[in-house]
Parts: sequence; structure tokens; C-alpha cells
Amino acid sequence: MDELKVLNELDTTQYIVIRLGDEQYGVDIKYIDSILRMQRITRVPKVAPHLKGVINLRGEVIPVMSIRLKMNLPEDVETRATRIIILKLEQYGTIGIIVDEVQEVVTLSQDMIEKVSYDPKDDSAHYINGVGKYNDELISLLDFNLVMQEKETV
Amino acid sequence: MDVSQYLEIFIDESNEHLQNLNTQILNLETEPENMDTINEIFRAAHSLKGMAGTMGYKRMQNLTHDMENVFSEVRNGHIKVAPGMIDILFQCLDALDEYVTNIKDSADEGTNDNESLIKQLNAILENKGEIPEQTSEEPKSSAKTAPANDENGDKKWLNIVLDSSQVNVIQAAFDMKKNVYGITVVVQDTCILKAARAFLVFKAVEEKGEVVVSNPPAKDIEDEKFDKDFSLIVISDKSLDEVIKAAAYVSEIASVTGDVIDLSKMKKPQSTNTKKEETKPAAADKAVNVEPKASAKPADKKSSNSGSKPVVNRTVRVDIEKLDVLMNLVSELIIAKNSLVSTTSQEQSQDDAFNEQIEYLESVTTNLHESVMKVRMVPIESVVSKFPRMIRDLSKKLDKKMELYMTGEDTELDRTVVDEIGDPLMHLLRNSADHGLESAELRAERGKPEIGSIFLDAYQDGNNVVIEVRDDGNGIDVDKVRNKAIERGTITQEQAANMTDKEIIDLLFLPSFSTAKAVTDVSGRGVGLDVVRSKIESLSGEVEVRSKLGEGSTWTIRLPLTLAIIQALMIEVGHEKYAISLGSIQTIEDIMVEDIKLVQNKEVIHLRGNVIPLVRLSNVLDVESTKANEESMVVVIVKKGDKQAGLVIDELLGQQEIVIKSLGKYMKQSKIISGATILGDGEVALILDTNALM
Repeated sequence: MDELKVLNELDTTQYIVIRLGDEQYGVDIKYIDSILRMQRITRVPKVAPHLKGVINLRGEVIPVMSIRLKMNLPEDVETRATRIIILKLEQYGTIGIIVDEVQEVVTLSQDMIEKVSYDPKDDSAHYINGVGKYNDELISLLDFNLVMQEKETV
Repeated sequence: MDVSQYLEIFIDESNEHLQNLNTQILNLETEPENMDTINEIFRAAHSLKGMAGTMGYKRMQNLTHDMENVFSEVRNGHIKVAPGMIDILFQCLDALDEYVTNIKDSADEGTNDNESLIKQLNAILENKGEIPEQTSEEPKSSAKTAPANDENGDKKWLNIVLDSSQVNVIQAAFDMKKNVYGITVVVQDTCILKAARAFLVFKAVEEKGEVVVSNPPAKDIEDEKFDKDFSLIVISDKSLDEVIKAAAYVSEIASVTGDVIDLSKMKKPQSTNTKKEETKPAAADKAVNVEPKASAKPADKKSSNSGSKPVVNRTVRVDIEKLDVLMNLVSELIIAKNSLVSTTSQEQSQDDAFNEQIEYLESVTTNLHESVMKVRMVPIESVVSKFPRMIRDLSKKLDKKMELYMTGEDTELDRTVVDEIGDPLMHLLRNSADHGLESAELRAERGKPEIGSIFLDAYQDGNNVVIEVRDDGNGIDVDKVRNKAIERGTITQEQAANMTDKEIIDLLFLPSFSTAKAVTDVSGRGVGLDVVRSKIESLSGEVEVRSKLGEGSTWTIRLPLTLAIIQALMIEVGHEKYAISLGSIQTIEDIMVEDIKLVQNKEVIHLRGNVIPLVRLSNVLDVESTKANEESMVVVIVKKGDKQAGLVIDELLGQQEIVIKSLGKYMKQSKIISGATILGDGEVALILDTNALM
């Protein structure tokens, strides 16, 4: 019994739940450096439209991208709930993404996550590596290495 | 013994010694009799050998050992320096360089034994065999420098070679009923600060008596140029035990052995006195004449006596990363200062004391920035000093007589720039040697001196460093370049007709454009000038060329002193702030809209006799200009080499010291932006790359 409990604990991952439009997405907490309120973003001319610009994060210049534009969703509308999540990705360095709202932190164990198969018709499905079920809600788990990777070829 | 932690130091120092050897052997070629040079070569080779031995690089050690033997004989006057020998020595240096490169890449020296080189070196040594009496001395001199082969075991002081004045001093001591001891001190294998330990031993021994002579010389011991042991001859009126105890009291000393000296057992000086040995008596005499306490620094006296011997700079090796951290901190400080300045100016603070402190802070940060920058600056010497050797080799290979004249080797540049500038300069020099200089016949025909000259001049010009590569050769044949360009389809016949000579010459910088008729080993493989240009532009520098057919060409490289912090002009375009490096700005003009003319459908202005194309930044940056409907506009004239452009902006915000931050690779797509900076209020402003706008 004890053994089983330990195993279960090892198999869990914490996700930060964010909202984009009506959908909920989960971001693995290990990638998250910090969450900032929306601030002035300096536009960089002549780059892809989903690259919104750069911000000053404690003296470093960090690029910020709109995950909405990236997923072909309508342009971000800035509200009081809008946040910039700073991610630290091993391969791609530090980057900020704009989300509509940061909701909560959930702990999902492996048995609560369902792997998804690739659906070429669904644009946003490119970036998802699983769907978590939590309190009857579905949370699409974002894989940022996929999000970034695809970007390079655009 | 684990030596991996010393690997970096080893590589650095080996490179330094190799560079030194290169320079000195070049000197030797011109002045085969110069004893200082020979001594310097000997020293460098010896240190290299010692270092390679310590690190366990046997092959490298063997090769240096044989080189050292040759130098040792040269130093003793047994061998004359011959041109053939110089060539072999250079080959040895190349081989050593290869070892060091291997070590750098893989921590292993590789498997090349370079036997042929060693044979050649030995052949040089054997040729000397024609002078029979001196052959017998050879093993002695190698024993002196290679303690490992020592026949005297622990009592290494017996190897000390005394000259006549030292013998006299010892004899005098005997006469005065003083004791003379020979002492050999062995430091522990694990000892890191050998020189410091040795110094303490010296000091301890000098409290008991007077050091007459040491092996290796005190200067070398001070510079840590000894393996594990060193020997002293001491005059003292204390007992032997007392002296040995004093020496052994120093920590990290493995053993101290000693005995009373018997003059008859000591080695007598060799018949040929080198200049170095001549200087010794003077030092020894002085040491005798002064009080025992005052003789505490025999090393200093000796070094001051040795005349032209280069003084070793007192330096600390610092990891470049640590300097980067320091530089970043200074950058942060400047940003913080800027933000203080901007808050005070916004609040119109009337507090004089506060403003004074702000001004003080400003001057301190500026000085701090300058000092940190200076720490990162290194003379370009480390790069250019390999060129004379290269030109010498090229001269032989191409069978053209040429000479390289260099000035301004002490010009300093940021370390990162210096590391990168070597290859482009080498390209340009090779170019000059291969394409630039004419063959001997042609030179004679043109009434030029037989020996071609290549000049490398470096100097500081404001916030830039200029490096010029100049030759008195053929210059660039513009027609040839033009024909070649047409032939290759780079430009059309029509375009060619409209292009100025300068524009044609600029074609040389295009990728895969080489005018060399034949591909040679030296140049003409189609990579070259474009690489030179892209490299220099990646360092925020620029390169241009001036040339006159038949008279030679000049390549001018202009590099910024530092890459991290620059003076910039802050401007506004459509409510967005941008920075333009002050270095690229020529003037700022107010231009009336009606003065704009159209040439080939492009907007230009006429300014003091120059026609300058206009660039509307609002268009380039995709923003709405706030001043679109006004009659006059602000134009910033920027230059790149001889080219000019007028950037139309909305508003001038003023000059500011800015810290350049990278945009990261996501934003690299934007060619017109070279970086970003953080303003006093925490906002990010982008830095315009004016070169990309032309």
C-alpha cells in the first residue's frame, strides 16, 4: 500500500492552468520562471506577427510571443487578467508568452493524462502532448518544445 | 598527479612561449650573433620543456629537449646559426604548435613523434662534432638543464657551475673561517605555489647566512622556472643543521639535504663566457659588499644587471567569463544610474546636494566602465606577432622577396575582438603577398625596389581602432575585376558601365569572387574577402579598400573599441524610441520638404555638394510618423565607409550611454535591429543597425 502511494507521487506532475479564449491549457511547472502582469512590450519591426516584441525582465531583454496568434486564434485582448508567463526552455532559452488568464496550479498523475494523437485538421493540436482530466474539466497540456520547434520552420 | 586543472594555464603559457620563440628565432635569422636573443630562446625552450614534462607530454618534451640542446650549443658558441637551421627550428615550432593544438582539443598531445625533426636536430648537434674537445662538454650542459639525468642524486648543488668570482667569494669565506654549505631543497609534488615556497626558503636561509649562488638562478626560481628542486650555496657562520632546519621549516618542502662545500669537487666555469654569465660576477660582488641582511634580494639585482632582458609584467590571469560578469554588473549599474538621472530630471528636483551626488555617481560609473573595459583590452600584439613569421614563409613559398613592417602592435582592443581579428588580417596579408606584390621582374621594370613591402599599421582613432594593411604592389586592376564580374554574371554589361571604380572594387567583397588567375596554396580559393568582410561586420566594424593600379592598395579595417557599451543618439519614430550608435552618425540636419528631390524615383537631398539618399524610418519600421505633414523634418546623416544616408526621424531625444543587450535568436530575423537596450525608466529601446539601412 505504502509502495503504491510513493509510486503515485513520483508519477505526478504539476501544471499551471492558463486560459486562452474558452479553452484551458496546462503548462508544466518546471518550465516556468515567473508570471508577470501585462506590461509595455517594445515592438520589434520586421519579425513574424506572433512575436510581439521584447520586454525588460530584471535587466535582461526577453522576447515575448503571442500564443494566440501562434495557434491562429484571434488577437489578444488585453484585460486585467492578462499575464505574461516567462518560460525557461533548455533548447530555446528564456521567452515570454501572453495568456488571457492564469487560473490555478493542478497536480496530475499519469493516469489522469490521456495521450492525444496528431490531428492535422486542428491547428492548435500541434502543440499538445496530452489532455489532463481534472474535476470534470479537460486541460490541454502544452508542449513548448513543439510550440517553438514549429516556429523555426515558419 | 592530476594536472588537468593546470591544463588551461599550460596551453596559455605554451602558446606564449611558442609565440616568443617564433619572434626570437626570426630575430636570430637577422642577427645570428645576438646573445640576448639566443639566451631568450634558450629560456623559452627550457620552460616549455619543463612544462611539457610536468604535464606528462613526453613527445613534446623530447622535441623541446633536443631543440634546447641545439640552443645550448649555440649559446656556448659551439654552433653557428645557419639559415638551414632556422628552417628546421621553425618546423619544430610548427610541430610544437601542433602538439599544443592537439592538447587543447583533446588534452592529448597526439601520436606524432616528429622523428625526422629530432634526427635533423641531432644532425645539427653532430656536425659540431668536428670540434672534438667541446663534444665532451655536451652531456654536462644537458645534465645541468635536465635534472632527471643527474648523476649526483640528491646532492644536486654539486651541479652548480661556479665562475671565478664566485669561487673567490667562497674561498674568501673559507679564509674567514666561515662555513660554506651546499643545499638542495625539494618541494612537495603537490605544492602549487612553488615560487612562494622557494622565496620563503631563500628568506629563511638568508637569515642564517648569505646565498652566494643558486641553481636555477634566483630570477628563474622567482618565476617558478624550476621543476621540483633547487640548490643553493650558502656562506654562514651557523652550523649546517641550523641552516637546513631553517629551510625545512618552510611548509610544503619535501626534503632538504646539504653538506659542506669542497671547492675542488665543484664544477668550474665553461671556457666560453656568455653575456649572461658575465653579468653574474657583478651581482655576486654586490652581494658580498653589502650587509648580509641587505642581500635579501639578490634576484632583483641580477635582473637589473642583465640589461636588455625583457622585464616580466606583473599580471594575473583571469578567466574571461569573470570579466564578463563584472562587465554585466557595470552595465546594470549604468542602467540604474540612467534611471536615477531620468527620475531627477522628470521631477525637476531643486535639491542641489542630490544633483551633485547624482553627477558624482555618473562620473564614478563612467570611470568604472572605462576601467573594466581597459581590463578587457589586450594589445593586438598577441595576434599580429605571428605575421612576420607568416610573411617569411610566404616569401619562400611564393618566391617573392618581401618584408613586413608593423607599427602600433601595442594598440589595444577588447579581448573578444582581438581573438576574432586574426583570421581576417591573415587573409588580407596573404592577399597582399600573393595578389598584391608583383613578381621581381615586373617590380624591376616598374622601377620599384626588389623587395616588396607590406605594412600593417594599427592605431586608435576616437572610439575606433583602425588597422591598415598596405602594400606597394600592383594594386587592384579595376578593369580585370569588371570583366570578371561580367563574365561571372555578377553584373550586366550596362551595370558595369555605370559603376564607379570604387563600386567595382567593392565587388571583391562578394562571396566567391576571386581574381587570382590560378588557385594557389596561399589564396584564391574563392573564400577570402567576403569572409573578411562578414567577420569584421560581425564585430560591428567595417572594411574598405583604396587602391591605385601599379602603386599598391590599402585595406582599412575600422573596429569599435568595445562592443558592450556605446554612446548613442536616442530618437523617436512614431512614438517608438530607437537608438543609433553615435559612431555612425555624421551630422543632424533640418531639411525642408521642398528640398527633397527625386532621382530614379528615390528621394534624395542635396547637402554640401553631396547627393544623399533619404530613408524614411517610419516606412522601414512600419509605424505611422507623427510628423508626416510638417514642412521641415529632422534628418540624421549616417555614414558607412564613404556611403551616406539620411534617416528621416520624428524627434531627437538626446545622447545617452547605452548598454547593448542581445535580442536573442527569436528576433534575429530583424536585420535592421542590431540589439536592444534598457532605458532609465525600464523600457526597452531597440538599436538600429544603420549599416543594414544603406
